[in-house]
Amino acid sequence: MNRRVYLDHNASTPVYPEVVEAMLPYFGERFGNPSSVHGFGQEAREGLETAREQIAHFLRAGKEEIVFTSGGTESDNLAIKGVALGRGRGHLITSRIEHHAVLRAVESLEGLGFEATYLDVDGDGLVDPEAVQRAVRSDTVLISVMHANSEIGTIQPVREIGAIARARGIPFHVDGVQTFGKVPIDLDACNIDLLSFSGHKIYGPKGVAGLYIRKGTRMVSVQHGGEHERRRRAGTENVAGIVGLGRAVQMRSRDMAGEAARLTGLRDRLWEGIRTRVPDVRLSGHPTRRLPGTCNICFRDVESESIVLGLDLKGVAVSAGSACTSGNVEPSYVLVAMGVPVAWSMGAVRHSLGRSTTAEDIDYVVEATVPLVAKLRSAVPGRV
Amino acid sequence: MQYSPALIDHFRNPRNAGIMRSPDGVGEGEYKECMDLVRFHLRVRAGEVVEARFQAYGCGPTIAAASAATELATGRTLEALLELPAAHVEAAVGGLPEPRRHAAEVAALGLRTAARDALSRLETRSGRHA
Repeated sequence: MNRRVYLDHNASTPVYPEVVEAMLPYFGERFGNPSSVHGFGQEAREGLETAREQIAHFLRAGKEEIVFTSGGTESDNLAIKGVALGRGRGHLITSRIEHHAVLRAVESLEGLGFEATYLDVDGDGLVDPEAVQRAVRSDTVLISVMHANSEIGTIQPVREIGAIARARGIPFHVDGVQTFGKVPIDLDACNIDLLSFSGHKIYGPKGVAGLYIRKGTRMVSVQHGGEHERRRRAGTENVAGIVGLGRAVQMRSRDMAGEAARLTGLRDRLWEGIRTRVPDVRLSGHPTRRLPGTCNICFRDVESESIVLGLDLKGVAVSAGSACTSGNVEPSYVLVAMGVPVAWSMGAVRHSLGRSTTAEDIDYVVEATVPLVAKLRSAVPGRV
Repeated sequence: MQYSPALIDHFRNPRNAGIMRSPDGVGEGEYKECMDLVRFHLRVRAGEVVEARFQAYGCGPTIAAASAATELATGRTLEALLELPAAHVEAAVGGLPEPRRHAAEVAALGLRTAARDALSRLETRSGRHA
């Protein structure tokens, strides 16, 4: 029986047992609709508001600044469309390596007559704050730059970008889905006006997320219906999920700092293990300014899906940088934006470590990777 | 993506991987959209393939399909290989999910090309001897 090693925590994480325990009553005895005035409803409301307080406390924000949504994608859409549509027209600034939830939301606004600037990144995946400064126009209505990229883990200079946004009076949205609960986020120091975060990346449940909206930020709702979430997001709240998210955040405030240091060590152990034993590999992402558990390695002249399959057969779960979804494979747009040559980017494999990852796991993955890559390469034909 | 046990077996233990010294026929199948490339080397005796070897760059199904294709080729006549449909390669790996069908196509194409190359070498040789 193979060992089982899960190195895909940037995709999703297992739920903390404490989170499951906190959620369970909200499927049974506290099932009420939090908008109802009776006792059943008020019990659910209490769970909802406690979670809001837990998250507000964690972010050092006001309770009324937290809005619950169904996922990171909805949070990004609400932030971007909510602010832009509130202005009616104008210009948005974002980067080429944002999550598709941001990129597609901005593109949809372009279809409505808005204009957009997509900032380039450097070879480490960093946005240059000076490029943000240069891109700002008198009609810029929003700057949206992610905190860390899910594929490469590079952490953006949000403090510098936030300072530019604040100086020009432009709302600043940060997609913090990959950093929330993993690395500290200082909303005030970074002048962040809107922050997207999600539950299932931090050992909470799927289908629940949130958006921090700084008090005074002008925006409209994009989903219409009832008066939920202070009229900013219509729809009955996912109470059990939200309670779970609140509890997960509490757990992260306990675990985050220690885990970051531990995972950084393991992440570097993985890279060193591969780098010293497999020829023609390169690390994608900033060497140090990177998520603690993220290690994206490009294996030259090997197709990443064959590595993912080979490792899966050894019980190891990683993620392919290039995906062949419908008979058409393209290298990751993130790696393309960073200027990684195709011969390398086609062999990109993302390892994302988490709570359960041990040094033995890392050594096992290295031991499984070395012969696999050698075997795959031995059968690769040269291209004429 | 769910793969058949046959496909996994071919991926895990590829048959006839590698190159061949002085092959009688060489052919490639390429699927540009996916950057997949499969190359076959054939050894032919009396118009029949007695050995086939492959090299492959691609996802797991492409490597498995190339491996299975070498087994399909062995013992067949070159004329039969010229007509080899992708469906036969797909069947040999126990079927392919829709987004991976190209794996069988690229392998079948490579084999057909190798067979054509072997036949043309044979014709050239017999023409020279005539």
